[in-house]
Amino acid sequence: MPAFGSFSLLIALVLSGYNLLAGAVALRQLATGRRGWISPEKLAETARRAGIASFFTTACAAFALVWAAFTNDFSVAYITEHSNRALPAAYKFAALWSGQEGSLLLWAFLLSAYGFVLRVRHKVDVKLTAYASTILAGIQVFFLLLVNVAATPFSLVTGAIPADGNGLNPLLQYPEMVIHPPMLYLGYVGFSVPFAFALGALMMRYPGEKWIHITRRWTMVTWLFLTVGIFLGMHWAYSVLGWGGYWGWDPVENASVMPWLTGTAFLHSVMMQEKRGMMKSWNVWLIFSTFMLAILGTLLTRSGLVSSVHAFAQSAIGTWFWVFLVIVLAVCLFTYVLNRDHLKTEHKLESLVSRESSFLFNNLVLLAACFTVLWGTLFPVLSEYVQGNRVTVSAPFYNRVAVPIGVFLLFLTGIGPLLAWRSTSMRSIRKNFVLPGIVGLLVAIAIIPLGVHPWTIFTTDEQGGFYAWITFAMAAAVITAIFAEFWRGGKVIQQKSGQNLLTSMVQLTRRNTRRYGGYIVHFGIVLIFIGISGQAFNQSHEQTMNYKQSFMLGPYTIECLDYSQDSNPNYDTEFALLNVYRGGHLVTQLSPELRVYAASQQPSTIVANHSTLAWDLYVIYAGKDPGTGQPVIKAFLNPLVAWIWIGLIVTIIGTGIALAPNLSAAIAAQRHRAVVAPEVVAAGKAGD
Amino acid sequence: MTTLACGLLMIGAFFYVFWPERNVEAQHSKTRLEYLRERREVLYDNLRDLNFEYRSGKYPEEDYAAQRATLENEAAETVAEIELLESDAFAPQHS
Repeated sequence: MPAFGSFSLLIALVLSGYNLLAGAVALRQLATGRRGWISPEKLAETARRAGIASFFTTACAAFALVWAAFTNDFSVAYITEHSNRALPAAYKFAALWSGQEGSLLLWAFLLSAYGFVLRVRHKVDVKLTAYASTILAGIQVFFLLLVNVAATPFSLVTGAIPADGNGLNPLLQYPEMVIHPPMLYLGYVGFSVPFAFALGALMMRYPGEKWIHITRRWTMVTWLFLTVGIFLGMHWAYSVLGWGGYWGWDPVENASVMPWLTGTAFLHSVMMQEKRGMMKSWNVWLIFSTFMLAILGTLLTRSGLVSSVHAFAQSAIGTWFWVFLVIVLAVCLFTYVLNRDHLKTEHKLESLVSRESSFLFNNLVLLAACFTVLWGTLFPVLSEYVQGNRVTVSAPFYNRVAVPIGVFLLFLTGIGPLLAWRSTSMRSIRKNFVLPGIVGLLVAIAIIPLGVHPWTIFTTDEQGGFYAWITFAMAAAVITAIFAEFWRGGKVIQQKSGQNLLTSMVQLTRRNTRRYGGYIVHFGIVLIFIGISGQAFNQSHEQTMNYKQSFMLGPYTIECLDYSQDSNPNYDTEFALLNVYRGGHLVTQLSPELRVYAASQQPSTIVANHSTLAWDLYVIYAGKDPGTGQPVIKAFLNPLVAWIWIGLIVTIIGTGIALAPNLSAAIAAQRHRAVVAPEVVAAGKAGD
Repeated sequence: MTTLACGLLMIGAFFYVFWPERNVEAQHSKTRLEYLRERREVLYDNLRDLNFEYRSGKYPEEDYAAQRATLENEAAETVAEIELLESDAFAPQHS
C-alpha cells in the first residue's frame, strides 16, 4: 500500500502539472488566436480531464494512508509516529490529519475534490472555468510537490519495523478532533475556488459580475466550513485544554480567524459589486488576501514558526510556503497592474448614510480586526528578528482592540439592513430606528438590577462589565431590527395571500433566501456575541477535596463522592466523582478525569461540564495534592456559554437557507420544465 | 499486486485524459449584449427589491420615488443599448 500511495501522489502531480501547462497553453492560444497542432479547445479539454483525474489519484493516496493506519502498517514512518494498535478506529482515521505529511495530503485531497466539482460543472461558463481550473491546478501542483518531495506521507521507517506505534497526540483523542480539522481545512482550501475565479476573471477581463454569482455559493459554503471549523476548535479547546475558556488568542486560532474575517468582509462587499458595480478592486484584493491568509494559516499551523498548543505538526517546510506566498502575491500584483482599468467602479459612494457605506464600514472594521490579529500573531517573530528576543503578545492586547471592534460590528449588523441603497433620509432613519432603539434602551436599563454594571469601567480596571452591558443592549436592538424586517415583509405577503403571518414570513424567506437567510445568520452571530459577553461574569474556585467535602460556586454546591483510578490498554486515568446540588436538590453527577496515555506517556484533561442556558459548571481534575493524595478540583462557573453553540447552529441554518434557491426561481424552473417537456414530447412525436 | 494497481491507475488516467472527445465545449467570450442582459436582470432585481421594501413601509414616499427614478433611468439606458445591439445583430440577415 505505501508504494501505491506514493505512486498515486506522483501521478497526481503529473496530472496537475499537465492541467496547469496544457490549460495555460490552450488559454494563451485562444487569447492570441494562434493555433498549434491540436486545437486549443481540445487541449483545454485534456487539461480539464487531467484535473478531474488528479482527484481520483489523490483520493487513492489518501485512501492508502488511511488503510495503512487501519492495518497498523508500521513500516510507514508516519503511521508509526501518529498511530498505535490500541488506538480506537475513529482516531485511526484522524491520523490522516494529525501530522504534518498527512494534513498536507488532506489539503491536496480536498483541493482536488473542490477542483473536481468545479471542472465537472464547467458548462456554467466554459471559458471562465478553464481559467479557474488552470489557476487551481497551479495551487494543486504546489501542494502535491510538497507531499511528493518535502513532506512525504509514505516514507518508510529505517531499520526494523516497530511492533507498535507511538500513538496519536492525546490532545487529539477527542470526538471533535475527528471533524474539526477537516472542517477547518475545507474552509481554508475552499477559498482557493473563489480566489481562482477572481484571478481568472481579472486575467480574462471578464465583463460583468456574473463570476461573483457563480462563486457565491462556493464562497458561502467555504465560509460555513471555516466558521464550523473555528467553533469546533473552540469547543475542543473548551472541553480538552481544561483552562476554563474557549478562545485564548493562540497563534493557530488567530490563523484560522484571519481568513474568516476577510472572507466575511468579501461576502458583504461583493453585494455592492453585484448590485451597483462598486468596489471591484477592493473585492478582488479581499479574496486575494483571504486566500493568502489561508495559506499563511497553514504555514503557521505546519511550520512551527510560532509556538502554539494547536500546532501539532512542525517542520522546516516554511520556506516552501513563503516561496509560494511570494509567487501568489507576485501573480496577483502583476495581473492587477495589467488589468486594473477593467476594475473601474461604475458608481461612486453617494452618501455616508447608506447601505453601501455600512458595508464599507463593516469591511474596514473587519480588516482592522484582521490586521490587529495578524500583527499580534507575527509580533513575536518580528520582535525576534529585530531585537533578538521573542516578545509574546497575550490576550489583553487582542481584547483591548477586538472587543470594541466586535461591539461596533454588532452595531453595523443592526443598522446595515435598515439603510437604503444610495442614501437614506432622516425620515427613513426615524421610521426604522425608533423601535430597535427603544428596545435596546429598555434592555440596557433592565439588566442593571441583574448585576450588569456599566460603571465598573470607571471604578475598577475591569472593562468587561461595561462591554457586556453595551453588547446586551445592542444585541436586543439588533434582534428587534431583524425581527422587524421579517415582520414587515411578512405583512406584505400576508396582505396579498391572506395566509397567517408566520406562514407569510416563511414564504418571504423562501422568496429571497439570500437576504433572509443572511438575517438569520446575523441573528446567530448576535447570539454568539451574547454568549461571549458572559465571560465578563466568570467565577472559579479551586480546592483539594476529601470524601464528602464540598464547596459552593454560584448557586451550586459541589460535593466529592469518591475518587479513584483505572486503566485500559490506551491510557491510565485518575478521576473524581462529584455530586452537584442546587437549592438542596441533586442536579447532576460530574466525573472529571486526568488521563496519561500509554504510548506517548502524555497527560490529558477530560473536563466534566454541566451546561445550561444560563451557565456552564465546568469542572477539571487538576491533579493530586502531593501531601494528602486527595484530588485537586478546579471549578468554573461560565455564564451564557451555551448561547455560543446555539448561535453557531442558528448560523449554520441561516447559511443553509441563504444557499437554497429562491422560491420564485424554483417555480420558474418548474414552469420552464413544464413548458419544455410537452414541447420535447411534441417534437419527439413529430420526429416519429 | 501493488505493481498491477499502479499500472492500472496510470493507464486508466492516461486513457481518461487523452481519449478523443468529439463534442468539445467551445470557449466563447461574453459579448457586450450578454453583459447588458445580465445587467438588466440585476437592475430589475434591484427595482423589485426596492418596490417590496417600499410596500413593507421601510422607506418614505419621497425616498422611494427618487430611488425608483434613478434605477428606472439606469434600466432604460441599458434596455436602449440592448435594443440597439439586437437590431444591429438582426439587420444583416435582412439586408
